Amino acid sequence: MGEPLLSVRNLHITYHRQGGSVPAVRGVSLDIEKGGSLGLAGESGCGKSTLANSLLRLLPPETEVTGEITLDGKDVLTLSPGGLRAVRWTSGAIVFQGALHALNPVQTVGDQIAEPMLVHETADSQDAARARTIELLGRVGLARPRATAYPHQLSGGQRQRVLIAMALACDPLLLIADEPTTALDLMVQAQVLALLDDLKQERELTLLFITHDLSVLTYACQRLAIMYAGRIVEEGPAWGVFENASHPYTRALAAAFPTIGDRSSRMAPSGLGGDPPTPGNLPSGCPFHPRCPLAEDGCLVEEPSLRVSGPGRSAACILV
Amino acid sequence: MSLAMQRRRATAGRVWKQFRGSRQGMIGLSVLAIFIMMALAAPLLADVRELSPVYARAAGNPQWAPPGEFPPLGTDFIRRSVWAQFVWGSRVSLFVGLAATVLTILIGSIVGILSGFVGGRTDAILMRVTEWFLVIPFLPLAIVLASILGRSVWNIIFVIGITSWPSTARLVRAQVLTVKQRLFVDRARSLGGGGTHIVGHHILPNVSGLILANATLAVPISILTETTLSFLGLGDPTAASWGKMLEEAFVNGAMTRNAWWYFMPPGLGILAVVLAFTLIGRTLEEIANPRLGGR
Amino acid sequence: MSGSDRLTSEHARRRGRRRLILRKVLGSILTLIFVLVFNFFLFRVVQTDPIGSLFRGRNVPAETLENLRTAFGLDKPIGTQFLFYLKETAQLNLGISYQTRQSVWDEIVVAIPPTVALVGVSAVLSAVIGTLGGVIAAWRRNTWKDQSITSGTMVFYSMPDFWLGMIMLVLFGVVLGWFPVGGMTDAGSNETGLALLLDELYHMFLPALTLTLAYLGEYTLVTRSSLLDVMGEDYLTVARAKGLRDVVVRNRHAVPNALLPVVTLTAINFGFVLSGAIAVETVFSWPGLGKATADAIRGPDLPMLQGLFLLFSAAVIFFNLIADITYSWLDPRVEEI
Repeated sequence: MGEPLLSVRNLHITYHRQGGSVPAVRGVSLDIEKGGSLGLAGESGCGKSTLANSLLRLLPPETEVTGEITLDGKDVLTLSPGGLRAVRWTSGAIVFQGALHALNPVQTVGDQIAEPMLVHETADSQDAARARTIELLGRVGLARPRATAYPHQLSGGQRQRVLIAMALACDPLLLIADEPTTALDLMVQAQVLALLDDLKQERELTLLFITHDLSVLTYACQRLAIMYAGRIVEEGPAWGVFENASHPYTRALAAAFPTIGDRSSRMAPSGLGGDPPTPGNLPSGCPFHPRCPLAEDGCLVEEPSLRVSGPGRSAACILV
Repeated sequence: MSLAMQRRRATAGRVWKQFRGSRQGMIGLSVLAIFIMMALAAPLLADVRELSPVYARAAGNPQWAPPGEFPPLGTDFIRRSVWAQFVWGSRVSLFVGLAATVLTILIGSIVGILSGFVGGRTDAILMRVTEWFLVIPFLPLAIVLASILGRSVWNIIFVIGITSWPSTARLVRAQVLTVKQRLFVDRARSLGGGGTHIVGHHILPNVSGLILANATLAVPISILTETTLSFLGLGDPTAASWGKMLEEAFVNGAMTRNAWWYFMPPGLGILAVVLAFTLIGRTLEEIANPRLGGR
Repeated sequence: MSGSDRLTSEHARRRGRRRLILRKVLGSILTLIFVLVFNFFLFRVVQTDPIGSLFRGRNVPAETLENLRTAFGLDKPIGTQFLFYLKETAQLNLGISYQTRQSVWDEIVVAIPPTVALVGVSAVLSAVIGTLGGVIAAWRRNTWKDQSITSGTMVFYSMPDFWLGMIMLVLFGVVLGWFPVGGMTDAGSNETGLALLLDELYHMFLPALTLTLAYLGEYTLVTRSSLLDVMGEDYLTVARAKGLRDVVVRNRHAVPNALLPVVTLTAINFGFVLSGAIAVETVFSWPGLGKATADAIRGPDLPMLQGLFLLFSAAVIFFNLIADITYSWLDPRVEEI
């Protein structure tokens, strides 16, 4: 099959703040094959956005990052500033959460999409960039006049499409979608997901899809990884993990499948009581044990590592 | 002690503790304390008779004497001790600055609270008036009023208060509107609390922090305005502030003679006091709004 | 909001904006009228006998004074006098100066260019230097660069501007003799053209330096604060993710958003162009509106003060209007439906 497009090995990310150090990611490893798609799910605070940002080294300078990140054969963590800038947006691009804040309020969306093309010289001239921008906007379902609009003039769904078009500007190999459907209506969500699926097939994109909504991932991704308290606690083929989870946490998340048309079930907390642990204050042993219905004495002692729970699957639970 | 009082005591204690930990705050406070003590202890530090030109002449003081010749700060054009003027002048400068600020805050707060709390027509009218004052250039207005009213300490205090209240009013009004939106005001109303009760027990406590921070930052403006007005000749001739010292120094040629001992001390005094209040004010702002801390 | 299309047509936006501007212009005119009313009645209260004050100390027969009073309409009811005042003001007839017995307008007009030159240059310099300082201070926050810029400007901002001028004048003019100690030109010189201009600039250096130093603190503080707010925004991370260099992220994305309040501040400060240097002009004997004001105070030359106050107010009102309009132009989020 060849080298995976993205390979992460034993990644540790620690934030250093005035109060102390906070370990956000504690030893994560994952691979994504070229053309493949991996979904990364977990509740808020589990470290998935931190992980996503770290892939292009977008974390604040005081953050400590150790481990290995290999993207398209390049070691991201040791690239020079110039090398890093060249890799950004061309090897990997991020579709950020579509809040109004991801777009510059005083620049037209067209200019913001065209900008990376000119920086990386994937377009020969201003005109070429403009033409390609309109092409991309069309591809994501936005009409030509939108190019001269300002972000505040567009709806949430339209802004999300702009962010997708923008991420595709330099034909990236890897597309990282960080919560792209959160805060969107169900109908718009479906449209965005369909769009991402089409684009993936059309351009042979490799996709890393991050969300807290498990149901979305089973549709969009081949494989699934579940994160909890900074680590991956289960991994495997999407439907397999969803239908037949090995880890109690995954089981709880899957059980919270929302009913289409019933908004309240989408918003309801996963039938799991309690809150996810704060990264600086983890319980002893397995961090999930306070909320785990199957917790035993051994769970408080040692944090379980990932072990094989089936063909091509693994889970971090002593019951496996 | 009622629960509310206890809580307020606790808040004050917490604020003080945070303030104590701030280096800039403590520096400001110390400097201010020194000058206040100097102003209060004026009779002990310098003989008030030395302010009189008649006395100075009779005492045989030299004219324009540098500090070396006439410690500690030399003499001026009519033989008076500069040190005496500096010490006694601090009283006027500080008093006018503080009194004018009190007036500013008083008018501004009343207008702001009325405007924000009552709303409607009153609000519209008061806001128009406030905006008008904000547009008029502050110093020319002060000059015009002072020229018309005459040169006395109280007139100067009045003039500064009358021209400075609008920005306080705007801030207070905004805060009152925010507080008004909070549920507990409605609850107090439904519990039968009348207007004055609500204002006194709910609005005032939540607005007083802002007013205090605003006041400490308004004092520098009052002091600098008084200084400028005095420099332009609108100060009280019988109550010489630091600004008046600068005026007399300028008008009587201290600059051409390089009589630095005459015009440097009052300026440095003003700079020190203004900086002190600014530091204190910024520290209070940071405590009230922790988001600003670390900036 | 979601699902609906809020992209209004260019046409509608332009119309909306024109309505906004019209409203603001009318508001400014209303404010100006209030100023005129205030100006008139305030001085009326004090000037119980303008004709008498004008000719104080001169031997003018009572009958002549009476005739003058009638001529100036001082025996008419106050409402009529106010209308008369409005008419005269509109024709730029602002009265006669007590001190020089010349037309107030003539005296003022002559003093405008020196002030505009001095304060204009200082305003531009303090805006540019102050803003740059603020950008550096924010981008490198909490480093020694930030601390020194912030503390330095705070110190200058905390001293009386004219006192700083006095120090400058004594140090560089009297002691070191590098610059002239006052005035706009050397008295008694016959220079013209370029030589005259250079001489004037030479005289302007110290007062301009004083004003610039005294007021750049405001720009530094506002810019720094504004940029710090912007620096927390997500779109800067996005800009970095696109592979832009740090400097480009700062200058193309962060600073334009941070500058919006600074632009408003600058425009407003230009309104104080005319009245901003009263004390400093006095220190340097700079023959502008500020010095005219200081001289008028010593009278008190009430007609002059009245005329100057009117001019100062009008300038501020005008530039506030410009500031408002400029802001609504620059920030695409400002719309009037």
